[in-house]
Amino acid sequence: MAHIWPIGGGKGGSGKSFLTSSLGRLLAAMGKKTLLVDLDLGSANLHTLLDVPYPEKSFSDFIRRKIPRLEDVVLSTPVPNLYIISGAHDTLDIANLPYEQKSKTLRAIARLDYDWIMLDLGAGTSFNTLDFFLISQNSIFVTTPEPTSIENVYRLVRSIYFRRIRQYFTATEFKALEQEVTRKFGEGSFNKPDCIIQTIKTTHPDKGELLESDFNSFKFKLVLNQLRRHDNIALGAQICKIIEKHLGFHIEFAGNVAFDDRVHDAICQRVSFLERYPYTRTAYDLRELSKNIAQSGSQQLLLRYS
Amino acid sequence: MKKDFAKLNYYEMLDIGPDAAFFEIRHAYNAALQIYEADSMVSYSLFSTEERRKILELLERAYLTLINAQERKKYDAELAQAGIIPATTDKGPHRRPACIYDVKRQTGTTGLPKKTNKSILRESVGKNKKISEILSGPDINGAALKSIRNELGIPLERIAQETRVRLDYLNCIEEDKIDRLPAAAFLKGFIKAYLKSLCVEPADDISTRYMQWLERARKSG
Ligand SMILES: Nc1ncnc2c1ncn2[C@@H]1O[C@H](COP(=O)(O)OP(=O)(O)OP(=O)(O)O)[C@@H](O)[C@H]1O
Ligand SMILES: [Mg+2]
Repeated sequence: MAHIWPIGGGKGGSGKSFLTSSLGRLLAAMGKKTLLVDLDLGSANLHTLLDVPYPEKSFSDFIRRKIPRLEDVVLSTPVPNLYIISGAHDTLDIANLPYEQKSKTLRAIARLDYDWIMLDLGAGTSFNTLDFFLISQNSIFVTTPEPTSIENVYRLVRSIYFRRIRQYFTATEFKALEQEVTRKFGEGSFNKPDCIIQTIKTTHPDKGELLESDFNSFKFKLVLNQLRRHDNIALGAQICKIIEKHLGFHIEFAGNVAFDDRVHDAICQRVSFLERYPYTRTAYDLRELSKNIAQSGSQQLLLRYS
Repeated sequence: MKKDFAKLNYYEMLDIGPDAAFFEIRHAYNAALQIYEADSMVSYSLFSTEERRKILELLERAYLTLINAQERKKYDAELAQAGIIPATTDKGPHRRPACIYDVKRQTGTTGLPKKTNKSILRESVGKNKKISEILSGPDINGAALKSIRNELGIPLERIAQETRVRLDYLNCIEEDKIDRLPAAAFLKGFIKAYLKSLCVEPADDISTRYMQWLERARKSG
């Protein structure tokens, strides 16, 4: 089974697509058959970062049933071992993908035959986006050292938490749960995960236990991108610490990636930054990051979409 | 699962082991301040003002307890009784030679006192109703000073760093431990420095009022 790595978080422009493409290149160079899936459908641009300027097929062909099997929309790239499912030419937004289509896609991704699959999920936190995060126990959150971007990471972590809870219940059960939590802990308590979990443990002990073991199995990683010289290099570790202490999620700080103006230059020239500027701090950071990722296997979560 | 910060023990709050040495505690507290202070990029979006104030208060209590050998001993005994930490034989402050390489230094934290932004502070002082109420009240004592500081969310440690007045003196002042205050000759200067670092003016008048209160308290006590 493939190791699946959803990548998201932060804000637009924090560098998710740049990191996805760079990690893809590095993992492929390690000899791992790697697939990058561009699910940031509104602003898909992974193909450009991988120098596949005119993708002749894309994810929408699968969704619109023009191409029945997901593996058949995979494109090869100029990089050996590196493949892509492009999100280009898509007018649809992943947030609006109907339930059936989403489940079909999740199942199809889980069955793909690659060593490593990375999903570029963009910055959104729609329910559908969260479901794609929850395809795997592992995820990579990208943020820049800016309060707004960090705020979005907290929001994302919270949302994933909620979404997982939601997945265990039907709509009516969930409504009943909301009433019970509010009755027990007062108005507004339904957005406090600890109140919800405590309630579930008494109303549905079996589900409470499963949820707890799910939450313990999550292995999230945080990457701090675009760090400049005067930035606090301890920031990433501090963010992880506070998430662990106050949201109760374990999240590992996977490393800083330095800011470098030449990233922009490389993208404009449509060349690989790693190849063009291998002896920069940024390239070094990316290589360290790829080693970190390559060493941590990930397990798929048991999907409830069969 | 989201944990209630108030339910952590002091060692957990500061992320240190129960045998942490004095300088480790101090270092851990400073690292925690970097995360929880109002202008910290890490936590600004995670807590309300009220939540943050509570956390800072708890951290401070943890810190002041653990750096005081006597207080710490009492606290450890409580934890040991509850079975939270193993009961230890005496762990005085000099229990082992401290190796300077032992500290788990967080990279990037220089440990230098952080400068609070004075113009923002001055503005908060001016706007705060409770502070103006305290200042227009009859008595300025240590408790009043402490309430002012808490309103502003400034840790005592920061004042100690800025004024270079010993933390245990500042703590005795705030707790109104009258018999353990520094000598009167220094005290007024300390109070003034304390007020100045909080941008509470006029520091001269207010410190005079503190000294007057103290004189009355000593006579009646
Ligand atoms: N480490 C870096 N140093 C300098 N510039 C960077 C770095 N990482 C990303 N950038 C710049 O940020 C821009 C945006 O990056 P990218 O497209 O990867 O962001 P994104 O998170 O995918 O955005 P969106 O959410 O809109 O898809 C890039 O064009 C690049 O110029
Ligand atoms: Mg992108």
